[in-house]
Amino acid sequence: MPTQEQVQDALREVIDPAFGKDIVSLGLVQALKIADGRVALDLQIVRSSADANNNLKQQVERALKGVAGVEAVEVRLTPHARSAGTGSGQGELPGVANVIPIASGKGGVGKSTVSANLAVALAQTGARVGLLDADVYGPSIPMIMGATEAPQRGGRGIMPVICHGVKIISTGFFTKPDQAVVWRGPMLSKMLTDLARQVEWGELDYLLVDLPPGTGDVQLTLCQQVALTGAVIVTTPQPVAAAIAEKSIIMFEQLKTPILGIIENMAYFESRKTGERELIFGAGGAATLAHKWKTPLLAQIPLATTVRETSDGGTPIVLADPDAPAAKAFVEAAAKLVVEVAMKNANAEKPVEINF
Amino acid sequence: MPKPIRINRHGAHDIAIEWDNGQTVAYPARFVRLNCPCAQCEDEVTGKRIVQDSMLPILTYPTKIEHVGRYAIQIFWSDSHSTGLFTWEKLWELADKIDDWKGSIKLPKHSLQ
Repeated sequence: MPTQEQVQDALREVIDPAFGKDIVSLGLVQALKIADGRVALDLQIVRSSADANNNLKQQVERALKGVAGVEAVEVRLTPHARSAGTGSGQGELPGVANVIPIASGKGGVGKSTVSANLAVALAQTGARVGLLDADVYGPSIPMIMGATEAPQRGGRGIMPVICHGVKIISTGFFTKPDQAVVWRGPMLSKMLTDLARQVEWGELDYLLVDLPPGTGDVQLTLCQQVALTGAVIVTTPQPVAAAIAEKSIIMFEQLKTPILGIIENMAYFESRKTGERELIFGAGGAATLAHKWKTPLLAQIPLATTVRETSDGGTPIVLADPDAPAAKAFVEAAAKLVVEVAMKNANAEKPVEINF
Repeated sequence: MPKPIRINRHGAHDIAIEWDNGQTVAYPARFVRLNCPCAQCEDEVTGKRIVQDSMLPILTYPTKIEHVGRYAIQIFWSDSHSTGLFTWEKLWELADKIDDWKGSIKLPKHSLQ
């Protein structure tokens, strides 16, 4: 019978070409079982391309069959992510494997557009995705995702609205369009925890939380009361935006929430006529930040009229125009995010055990 | 800085924290309560301690300890206080001050100890 080590070593020989790393280090191997000469495992997919996924699957099968004593191999492709769990269950949302806040220090960097496109791109891989719009002051997810109906009451709580395969809930569903949210901090915090807990999310691999800009009550409450996998920071290349995004990073660091990566939005403008690239907001802001905080730069999303148009039209560009450079960049960001989450969860620190 | 692995009861009311550097520190309950970092117990601007030993019941002990995110614990005390969040940094920093505190205790005649 092959040993766990022999099997792991063989799996470490399988490199995911898109990441240049082996599938064990990337955290993509789940539920590995060795019984007599049989090896079974789940291989987490990070992109929707069937060809690339099957190719990887065949490589895994080949590598395992080369191990002495292996007679049968069963590799299942799964879009589902594992969860690190908190051990105590405290702060976990039932059924939700990973809660990922999308944050920016500065407003107006396109955080909601990024959140919506990431959510759709993740859902395209077959993952079960939720999107919680916690931007109480300027809830824009319903519009970007084209939600036309209001959420219904379910058996236990609120049923999310399903748009483009993503379960969404927004604070905007509960306030009138002609009403502004003029609330003090404690009310904001309560709204968020109520929303997170009273929504019937069902089983989710990823719940993205579109946060309001800044480092205030909403962000703090989320970090304190909900067990988070890690945060994604959105910025533009502009030094002023990057400098304020850094404040968000510092907040998450202080609250011991890992940073999964940075997305640079409005990275450049490509002229449709000449193909020339113009760096409207400057360059390098996000890269400098990523380097300083040792976190990956998940994507550089170009500034494009179509991104704006598709957002305003209710169909994110990932779906509306999948061949556009911006759409491809979002899909790439989603794939990298899946890997970051898989790596974090595969090597997650054990939560503190309290027996008191 | 080490991180806590386990938080257990020590004796009747004290708190034992097992750190990932192999050390286990026994924190006297009263000492921890006196070092509560919340705004009612510590002046937010000057950092001056507000809560004093004389202000606490003779027997003050934790009734419940809960996680706060991944970075701290919240202790619910027998004197109904619970607003302080003890971060890992704070708890690690307090470990060095336990002996000084023990040395400073002047037991009143009516003390239980």
